[in-house]
Amino acid sequence: MSHENHSGSSRLPEDSVSRREFLVRLGITSVLIAGSGLAAKKLWQPNHFVPGFEKVKGLQLKSYAPEISKVLPSLAIAHGTDHEKTIRAAMAALGGMGRFIQNGDVVMIKPNVAFDRPPALAATTHPDALRAVAKLCFEAGASKVIVADNPINSPTGCFFKSGLTAVASEMNLDLMYPETNSFAPLSLTGEILKEWTFFNTPFKKATKVIGLAPCKDHNLCHASMTTKNWYGLLGGRRNQFHQHIHSIVSDFALMMKPTLVILDGMNVLMSNGPTGGRLSDVKPMNTIVAGTDMIAVDAYGYAHLLERDIAELTYLHKANDRGLGNINWKDTLYKEVTA
Amino acid sequence: MASEKKSGPGNRREFARTRVPLAERISSIVIVILMAAIGIAIGIKGRHFNPDIFAVRADSLQSTTAAVEGKAGTAPSVSGNSAENPASAEAPKSVAEKPAVAADASAEGGAEGSGDTPKPAVKGEPLEITLAGIKPMSDTEFYNSENLFEKIDGRAPAYQNFNVVGLRCRSFNVVSAAGSYVDVYEYRFDSPVDAFGMFALERDPKGGPLDFAPDGYSGEMGYFFRQGAVYVQIIASDVKPETLAAAKAIAQNHAQELPADDSGLAGRRKLPAAGMIAESVSFVPENVQGQAAFKDVFQAKYKFNGAELPYFIMVAAPDDAAKAWKSFQDFCARFGKVENLPDVNGGKIFSAQVFGKWKVVYQRDGELGGVFDAADETNAQAFVEKYLRGEIK
Repeated sequence: MSHENHSGSSRLPEDSVSRREFLVRLGITSVLIAGSGLAAKKLWQPNHFVPGFEKVKGLQLKSYAPEISKVLPSLAIAHGTDHEKTIRAAMAALGGMGRFIQNGDVVMIKPNVAFDRPPALAATTHPDALRAVAKLCFEAGASKVIVADNPINSPTGCFFKSGLTAVASEMNLDLMYPETNSFAPLSLTGEILKEWTFFNTPFKKATKVIGLAPCKDHNLCHASMTTKNWYGLLGGRRNQFHQHIHSIVSDFALMMKPTLVILDGMNVLMSNGPTGGRLSDVKPMNTIVAGTDMIAVDAYGYAHLLERDIAELTYLHKANDRGLGNINWKDTLYKEVTA
Repeated sequence: MASEKKSGPGNRREFARTRVPLAERISSIVIVILMAAIGIAIGIKGRHFNPDIFAVRADSLQSTTAAVEGKAGTAPSVSGNSAENPASAEAPKSVAEKPAVAADASAEGGAEGSGDTPKPAVKGEPLEITLAGIKPMSDTEFYNSENLFEKIDGRAPAYQNFNVVGLRCRSFNVVSAAGSYVDVYEYRFDSPVDAFGMFALERDPKGGPLDFAPDGYSGEMGYFFRQGAVYVQIIASDVKPETLAAAKAIAQNHAQELPADDSGLAGRRKLPAAGMIAESVSFVPENVQGQAAFKDVFQAKYKFNGAELPYFIMVAAPDDAAKAWKSFQDFCARFGKVENLPDVNGGKIFSAQVFGKWKVVYQRDGELGGVFDAADETNAQAFVEKYLRGEIK
């Protein structure tokens, strides 16, 4: 390509641009590019979460906790030999399920179904416990009961072998397996738990949340009870947290403010937890502990059901020190009954 | 493109952008419009979190998706044995048909996930058992040391401490007992000694001995034994006689089929049987009694003269055993009183009182052993001397 330039002349070819025009066009293009980028960033970030971009916040769970009562107990301990009767007795001691569940409530029950073990081995929430709690919810007016957990093993296998699938079918409960789109980013200012993927779908519908956990020994953190039970709501490679197990478990008391927690201590996995595998690991303790303070419930469970020294259960102390619960369960308003 | 630069009015150098072809102009406009459109599209899409679109760390999916295939196997087969087993007929669809969490969860879960993605377990031979009355309920699952947590979660580190190599497991329906099943777990370790160590750690103190597997025992709902480098767990779903019978048949079948290998277990075989409290047998791979030289030690408790004595045996090269014996003697001398006792049947013996407890330790050829932490020296010495004389077998 060539053209002529005439010395001393300001005349330019018709199809050429001047320096001024070129700079103006360059400027406009740059502004458009920068503007597009900024606009995209501004529109995108506030509602989006990308793991690793710590400044971006995910969802924060609302509190499902009931109003604090100065009259009614916050902790109930019931002794008995029958799951339903004992759970009913514990709930009656707390003031009845009606204190927690009202007409039309959608209740999400979070069992511990971490393993595909049969109920007798006490590594998972017992089907009789689920049946009793679901029945109480319906009696209190719940319109729907959702049962959800994110087992690290096959969800279908775990729910089936633990006997919970059968109960869900029998009682028309909404058994919610974790699926591809069940997760959302969670944002928390925990000691370890900051941003992490969370099994969120059940919480979109739930108006009340009940944790229903077995009481069992745990190889890494000494015990798995109602606080540890929330671990099953995390997604991703959550085993990474095992290195900071006490910190992460204490964070669950910050993450979840449930309506109620129930610790099933009818048959306690005393050793070789969390999986167990032998009936000799299981000891009948015939106790149900229910309450609104998971730390107090677990403190009772550790000392009286697992029969261990509460001083060694670091995560409860961490949660207690952070004001997330009361490890001194005797200081709470509690009631002990026999079914 | 070319231009010439000449002095213009006011000595300013003239600049002339030469001809800009139409195609270039159109391309520029299209690029700018596209950029704006992309920005707006990202903005609109980004308002709603969708992991299918924004799976940024797709590689982290591998941590759990790889195992999903195996994990699905724990669900009852839909096409399986519904005729024989009503429970199977009611079972939900397997995970393979219904996408499970692990896939997308991992993708999203990388915020704090700095660890490497565990390698998926290599599929081996399926666990086949050809016995009448049982039918496979699921596919065989395979796990390796790295992803074992996907099956047993917080229990995995205990197995890793004993160098677990992998797990192969499968469930079997009991045809004659509707809804009942038997789970078969085969934990494979680096060596028979490792397998024994984990087996002993989980031993049921109430378990009854098995006549078809040395050191094996039966619990109320299962059978547990070590064969070679494999620790086998056969767990029944309930205590129905048919289920337990099936579990026992599977256990016997397995004990026969797995190759026997007791390499490294010479120490275990030297532990005398008389007076042994069976459930107390354990294996400690290293640093026993705080001694670096005490490796691969077998321990057990014995009832002897009304007392309970902790006893240990280690088998090594004669020189190593002699050095370890001397080293332990010196160690005891630093913290307590040591006395050399007369040799018995070729065995050198010393006794030591350390922190109020008695140790009586011998060395004979490549064998090092003795009683430790006994309350009473007389019993400890008598036990060791009787053992060396062959009076306790």
